[in-house]
Amino acid sequence: MSEFLRDYLTVVWFGAAGVLLGALLFGISALIRPNHPTEQKVIAYESGVDPVGIGWSQSQIRYYVFALLFVIFDVEAVFLFPWAAAVERYGTFGLVVMLAFIFLLLDGLIYAWKRGLLRWV
Amino acid sequence: MTGLITSLIAQSGEWQAPTIDWHAIAPELVLIVGINLVLFIDLWIDESRKWAMATLTGIVLLAAFVPTVTLAVTGDDVRSMFDERYVIDNYALVLKALFLLVGYVVVLMSQTQLEEGGYYQGEFYVLMLASVLGMVMMTSSRDLVSMFVALELLSVPAYMLAAWRKRDGRSNEAGVKYYLLGVFASGVMLYGMSLIFGTTGSTKLVDIARSLGEGDLIAIQVLGVTFVIIGFAFKISAVPFHTWAPDTYEGAPTPVTAFLSVASKAAGFVAISSLVFIAFPAADEVYQPLLWVLSALTMTIGNLIALRQTNMVRMLAYSSVSQGGFILMPLAVAGSGDAAEPALKAVVVYLLIYAFTNLGAFAVVIAAARKTPSGSISSFGGLFVYAPGLTVLMTIFLASLAGVPPLGGWFAKFGAFRAVLEADTNAGYALAVVGAVNTVIATAYYMKVMRVMWMADVPDGDITPVVTPAPVQAALAITAAGTLALGVLPSLVVRFGDIADLSGALGR
Repeated sequence: MSEFLRDYLTVVWFGAAGVLLGALLFGISALIRPNHPTEQKVIAYESGVDPVGIGWSQSQIRYYVFALLFVIFDVEAVFLFPWAAAVERYGTFGLVVMLAFIFLLLDGLIYAWKRGLLRWV
Repeated sequence: MTGLITSLIAQSGEWQAPTIDWHAIAPELVLIVGINLVLFIDLWIDESRKWAMATLTGIVLLAAFVPTVTLAVTGDDVRSMFDERYVIDNYALVLKALFLLVGYVVVLMSQTQLEEGGYYQGEFYVLMLASVLGMVMMTSSRDLVSMFVALELLSVPAYMLAAWRKRDGRSNEAGVKYYLLGVFASGVMLYGMSLIFGTTGSTKLVDIARSLGEGDLIAIQVLGVTFVIIGFAFKISAVPFHTWAPDTYEGAPTPVTAFLSVASKAAGFVAISSLVFIAFPAADEVYQPLLWVLSALTMTIGNLIALRQTNMVRMLAYSSVSQGGFILMPLAVAGSGDAAEPALKAVVVYLLIYAFTNLGAFAVVIAAARKTPSGSISSFGGLFVYAPGLTVLMTIFLASLAGVPPLGGWFAKFGAFRAVLEADTNAGYALAVVGAVNTVIATAYYMKVMRVMWMADVPDGDITPVVTPAPVQAALAITAAGTLALGVLPSLVVRFGDIADLSGALGR
């Protein structure tokens, strides 16, 4: 077998190993777990509360805006903390770069505020 | 947490602020300022004056063009920043200019449609500028991390643009499909990048090349190279990773389709060529066969499916898939002997010419959209009767896509074939044969559209002339001029940016 075909064999082995591992784990767990379904056990789990109504119900998604806005501040914090730990080392350059970064992130917040997304409808 | 960080910093020694070459990153800076301008002006402007956003976006793109030109004029030295992870050379400049121009033409094409549809104009242009910024960054990235950031910056806005007509189910489908497959591709690519980083100890392309060159490749490196290339193969919709393309292209608004099929695809090719020419020369035994197979499959299957299409945009979508195969052709021999330089040249020239031609074809589809609401090829019947100008232009663009001299497309194909033959390997000759057969197949479906436009009757018998809005006319003029000029005077494109220097610029 030529050199490059052997190279590709690696890729094939890798893929096969991935599939096998998945099959093995699910297979073993299917074999060794006890299986005694009762009516209580097969209903969908919903935080310990009995599910009410059908699965296809409409729900409010207005929280998503807050989830998105949270990401803005989250990302900001992730980068601010390491920078703040060494703010003196990075000097003026670090300060300017950080301010530019914060300003670009604030774009998102200003946009949301101006479009009225911060009001609870 | 803070203690850990402080101790890490203490180990890293003295820190020095990177020197920034402001002239070199001026195009990016102009775009960033422009994105903020468009965003804020749009927030405070009256609804009746939203049309100004398109004008402003056009000005921003042209303003970013200015430093690109001044950089090209002032000296041919390579400017690099951030420890040579961000390089501005001729290769980068030519492609930056291409992306800015494509962005400008897409603004011209989308203006009227957005105004009439009452779509969110300001947001559209902000996202489009952000995507163009990602592409401009991609041309200069010489580091896996900055390449990935650029890729996400250009992709994420594109996912949203594809779903722009939010009341239209097919547009939503287009966006979701593009998003899911794009994210999946990013995952595959990141996995490959992590394997490469793990085995070479660097994300810098030059260092990766050095490290891969030491001794034989180990299995994990083979996996890494394969995964990274497959990740980008999704982006350029190479078969068998093309399944998202036709649905996305058909469902997305037509200007966005033009943007995706030209700019976003070109950005994928830029990334692949940077990787192949800078990072993976030592791994040519891995990437060459991979790209060979991708190229042959992409050309053949894209063409065969395009033959059966009845919808105009779907036909153009599959045609752009098969054109992608031709662009991959020179890359598949990039590591063989003297083929590297002609291969790089061929890819850049092909991308330039393909951008003009394909944008032009989409501009005609947009201009004729009011008469052809169904979008089927047969609805273009008798276009010559009521819109002779558009028919002539569409014929030029389709003939250029087919590779008929003296239009731009022939020179692009000529370059691709020459690079493959220059490699002087059996694989190269075989690929040239596959390419030649496919050129003939492709001509068939381009001819079919021409026949319908020139010879068929008008389906509904209505022959009132089509009024083409002024911006679309401008887009048609730019693309037609580009297609004709690059075909008649191919020396123009060879001189432009002196592409002979490109390979030197890429650090070879």
